[in-house]
Amino acid sequence: MSFHPLMEYDPGRFHHSERKIADEGAPFVFTPERRAKLDEILTEYPPERKRSAVLAALYLVQEQEGYLTANGMRHVAGILDLTPAEVEDVATYYVMFFKEKVGKYVLQVCRTLSCALNGAERVTESLSEKLGIKVGETDPSGMFTLLEFECLGACDRAPVVMVNNEHWHEHATPESCSKLIDDIKAKGEAALSGCHLKVEK
Amino acid sequence: MDPVLTRYVREPNGHTLDFFLQHQGYEGLKKALAMKPGDVIEMVKASGLRGRGGAGFPTGLKWQFVLKDTPLPKYIACNADESEPGTFKDHVLMERNPHLVFEGCLIGCWAIGAKVAYIYIRGEFYHVQKVLEAELAKAYDKGYVGKNILGTGFDCDIVIHRGAGAYEAGEETALIESFEGKRAQPRIKPPFPAVSGIYNCPTAVNNVETLCNVPGIVLNGVEWYTSLGPDKNFGPKLYCVSGHVKKPGVYEATMKTTLRELIFDYAGGVRDGHRLKAVIPGGSSVPMLLPDQLDIPASFDDVAKAGSMLGSAAIIVMDETTCMVWVAKNLMYFYRHESCGKCTPCREGGDWLYKILTRLENGEGSMRDIDLIASVAGNIAGKTLCPFGDAAAAPALTTVKNFRSEFEDHVREGRCTVPSDWRGWRVAAGAH
Amino acid sequence: MYDRQVMDTVTLTIDGRQVTVEKGRTVLQAAIESGIKIPYYCYHPGLGIDGSCRVCIVKIEKMPKLQTSCSTTVTEGMVVHTRTPEVVEARASVFEFLLINHPLDCPVCDKGGECPLQDFSYSFGPNESRMEFPRRVFDGEGVRADVDFGPTLMLNRNRCILCTRCVRFMREIDTDAQINITDRGYGSEIATFQEQGVHSLLSGNLMDVCPVGAITTKDYRFKARPWDNPEAVDTICTLCEKGCNTTAWIKAKPEWAKGPQLIRMTPRLNPDVNGYWMCDIGRFDYHWIEGDHRLQRPLVRSEAGTLEPTDWTNALSKVADKVTAAGGTGALRFFVSAQASLEELFLIGRLGGAFGLPESGVAVGWRQREKPQPKHAKFKIPPTDAPNVNGARVLGFPVKTGSDGTADISAFRAAVEQGRISALYVFDPGPDGYIGDVSWLVEAKRAGRLPLLIVHGVVMTELASVADIVLPGAAWVEKDAAYVNAQGRLQGASRAMAPPGDAQEDWQVFVNVGLALGAGLTYTSSAAVRADLAATLSANEAFAGLTSLAFSRPVTARHWLQASNPSERWKWDFMFQDLPPVKFAGTPRATSPPQTIALREVD
Repeated sequence: MSFHPLMEYDPGRFHHSERKIADEGAPFVFTPERRAKLDEILTEYPPERKRSAVLAALYLVQEQEGYLTANGMRHVAGILDLTPAEVEDVATYYVMFFKEKVGKYVLQVCRTLSCALNGAERVTESLSEKLGIKVGETDPSGMFTLLEFECLGACDRAPVVMVNNEHWHEHATPESCSKLIDDIKAKGEAALSGCHLKVEK
Repeated sequence: MDPVLTRYVREPNGHTLDFFLQHQGYEGLKKALAMKPGDVIEMVKASGLRGRGGAGFPTGLKWQFVLKDTPLPKYIACNADESEPGTFKDHVLMERNPHLVFEGCLIGCWAIGAKVAYIYIRGEFYHVQKVLEAELAKAYDKGYVGKNILGTGFDCDIVIHRGAGAYEAGEETALIESFEGKRAQPRIKPPFPAVSGIYNCPTAVNNVETLCNVPGIVLNGVEWYTSLGPDKNFGPKLYCVSGHVKKPGVYEATMKTTLRELIFDYAGGVRDGHRLKAVIPGGSSVPMLLPDQLDIPASFDDVAKAGSMLGSAAIIVMDETTCMVWVAKNLMYFYRHESCGKCTPCREGGDWLYKILTRLENGEGSMRDIDLIASVAGNIAGKTLCPFGDAAAAPALTTVKNFRSEFEDHVREGRCTVPSDWRGWRVAAGAH
Repeated sequence: MYDRQVMDTVTLTIDGRQVTVEKGRTVLQAAIESGIKIPYYCYHPGLGIDGSCRVCIVKIEKMPKLQTSCSTTVTEGMVVHTRTPEVVEARASVFEFLLINHPLDCPVCDKGGECPLQDFSYSFGPNESRMEFPRRVFDGEGVRADVDFGPTLMLNRNRCILCTRCVRFMREIDTDAQINITDRGYGSEIATFQEQGVHSLLSGNLMDVCPVGAITTKDYRFKARPWDNPEAVDTICTLCEKGCNTTAWIKAKPEWAKGPQLIRMTPRLNPDVNGYWMCDIGRFDYHWIEGDHRLQRPLVRSEAGTLEPTDWTNALSKVADKVTAAGGTGALRFFVSAQASLEELFLIGRLGGAFGLPESGVAVGWRQREKPQPKHAKFKIPPTDAPNVNGARVLGFPVKTGSDGTADISAFRAAVEQGRISALYVFDPGPDGYIGDVSWLVEAKRAGRLPLLIVHGVVMTELASVADIVLPGAAWVEKDAAYVNAQGRLQGASRAMAPPGDAQEDWQVFVNVGLALGAGLTYTSSAAVRADLAATLSANEAFAGLTSLAFSRPVTARHWLQASNPSERWKWDFMFQDLPPVKFAGTPRATSPPQTIALREVD
């Protein structure tokens, strides 16, 4: 858009940022079920405070696309009466939103003190070796992404590995994680356990 | 002491509504709804209940400060964004005793005149959120939440709001910002949330454990409550013990219990064949204590007297295999990663400190770096909008203060001098 | 009444000085108003408080920690210290943090010389940095760091100190939040969604609010340094009916040098008109003033049919001859752009009176165009592209508007198109197009339905190109003239520079035309015209200020800023370094006994 006759906008004349911007992704609309779910969530906030649902809406985008696409963020902005920039502002702040394509299974190893004291570094290293990728990378098959995460709040069960923002594997060891990978490869989602609670009286 | 908050957490059905009702569930709520809201606040004030989130501010006072004469709606924000490294107590409470959380929220709403309690739960606790949601639906069904609660005419909703991974969202004003769908960055105080919180309406932000203390106070009375624990540090307290101990876990005790008891009796002491080196008594944001400083009650006031803070009561235990330069670096990485980026000192200084610590840990640092760490960390502390700045400075300041010789060894030897049997093979090979 | 006044002010002590300010002010505002120097970045008087940059920290007695003065409201009896060793050292440490990643490219930075980061660091920062690691780099080093930021702006993220003034401007004033921050903490960057840049008619203000050289305008980029523009003139913008208060910056340049003198326009604080802001049209649409199409000499159509330059004597005698040939002054009609000032309209009225013109003998035109802006924008640009529609109305000109605010000149147009007008004098002192659509007039002239067309204007428009005589006038920055904006507010635009070539100020052209046509106008200055006009309008209170209307002259930038821009006044004090306050002489340390901190006055 050039809004002024005297100020023609020719972006080609200028150097452009190499900042990694969001993938445009496929054209995006929520599936009817997800849209209904978002509408339900919206009822929990005052009608003029739709913005409160932005995290919930972004989770739904991520559920549908696997990560946050530009089209997804635009769609959310449209629903919540925000600008796409405001949505990106929020989306990039929170670490549980993936800003680029990730594997089907995202392994996030807690690296903060209590987990590290109990061998989280070795877990990360063994996962890295097993998958043949560095932290932050996705394996060529697109199956696994390996990330490090900050304190998950389960330090009594350290080290903890969180899979897909949801399933926790506790007391992780290089051996148990190796088995986890094999299990996921063999059984898919069924291999993901959950969270085992252990409380001392 | 018999556990109060976690008595039934190991019962297979301990988290269900039926079980809860069989064990005096929602009795506190019934009693509270028969009282005047102001009397509930007075009662909580008299109990001396202090916030369990970290600062230890008296809960009754916080509720009293909530603006009364206002046409605006009021809110309870239950802070379930438990993310202080080493802390996992709210996790247990919410997963195994969700109705107690709801009951606390409802009594809080009654006391301050709110019609909605929002539980802001950290995004990583999705499995906990599912438990909460399922149990909340049951509570709605049975009329414990929603319209005309227990036939008293009191309407109150509870809404669970999921965060998305931000340590800073645990700060009360950042939590409110995040709740409103913005970046979790702190607001300027004043105005305090009690005057202008969620949607600029009066709001009380309370930790999960704090709210879980309330039903017991209402039900069993102030006298019972103040009989637990030392003066001004009353009531049951959850301690999270983790790190190099035999039995890490959540332990409920009064604040008379000493740190040594918690570590050696409750959590079984350090690993066999190892000896204690240092303890972080209240989450990664507080100064460390040394083995000879542990014979103090683990109360807000006594830990403060010892030069640290009880914080969120997250006790992280480290044995002699722990390199303190590495600890500082590990935690600095955390604070650098979690800094919201709003205030200059925290944003810029955090990264600078991390770089210096990395250089030192790799054995490439100089003696001057050790003073520089103390200086830069000191320059961050106290100069930021929220307490994050002080928290970010703590690991560096406390390790340099207590373990300066270890830093000097790193410089002198040009490598890490502390043998460790749990560091990553690859990173250890690089550093040692 | 007295009691209320007492209640509405607060007295506090800052650095031992009693200061009384309006209730509700912050400590920082109180200090600025009282001439006490506290640095700031995230604070901007036109935007909400953020409290993030942390350099405005001060010691307030009875408060445990140092407080940011921008976010602390003054209370009665408050005692504030800004120069104690504790404050001085803490402040210096924040400056050290601000600068550890800021590139030292001041010599090539557009902001250099008028940069608050430079100035405040000089005054309050540490003497040296202890940072030994490479600086953070976002888009590249050096010139690679400058990236496209929309049609009008460039962004340099390496220089950004994340004060978020730009983010807040877009949220609060423009209300279309196009700028956001991506990532968090150390990785935070200013960005627009998908790097598409800022597309807003208020974008130029982002350069103003940016306290470092992170946001610069493409228009001003690399054109001048602050010390190249020693002169600034307070004036107003006349491109629409809002009448924003602005400053025209004049570049010093030797006679032989090419390029324009007028180097930029910036907004000037007027809380009642434009606040701290101005729009991009006013800011960037000034190039025509010294452009290639400016009329510099009178033009007269030759026998061969071409417009040939001539001198004023010849041109004026041709005006007299041709008007006589077309039926005399009684047949002369006027078509006036609402860009005309009060003085010019008054003179046209005088001429009309002398020639015995009927009321329908004058038509007033202007351009109406909607400006694409967000619905709730706090700074609205009105659609009427003329500064003086109200002025024309007050002076009794037949200003007719259609239902949508456009100029209704249908009767006049019909007269021209039916060939009922034999001689027409068009006065069009605005840029091309601002008089409104005149293609029909060009058409009528080409079709021979208009025997005589005199165009008195400033640029070679299509209309001027078909005229029989063209008289070169002055643009609004080339003359002292008064206008009445949409609010009915009388304001003056000042002469910042001389009209080019033989072009004359418009009042002078009218006086000369009048003399040539036998109307005895004897004014010798625009002030004389104004005085006469004021006498005519003496019954109208709104024009009481006409005779005392102040017109500024080019002044050195320093004086101008001190006098007229309280919001950013400090940076100019520091810029010229006449009064730098306390400077911390050591390197900041964590704990040091207060007595060892060196305070020194900068010499």
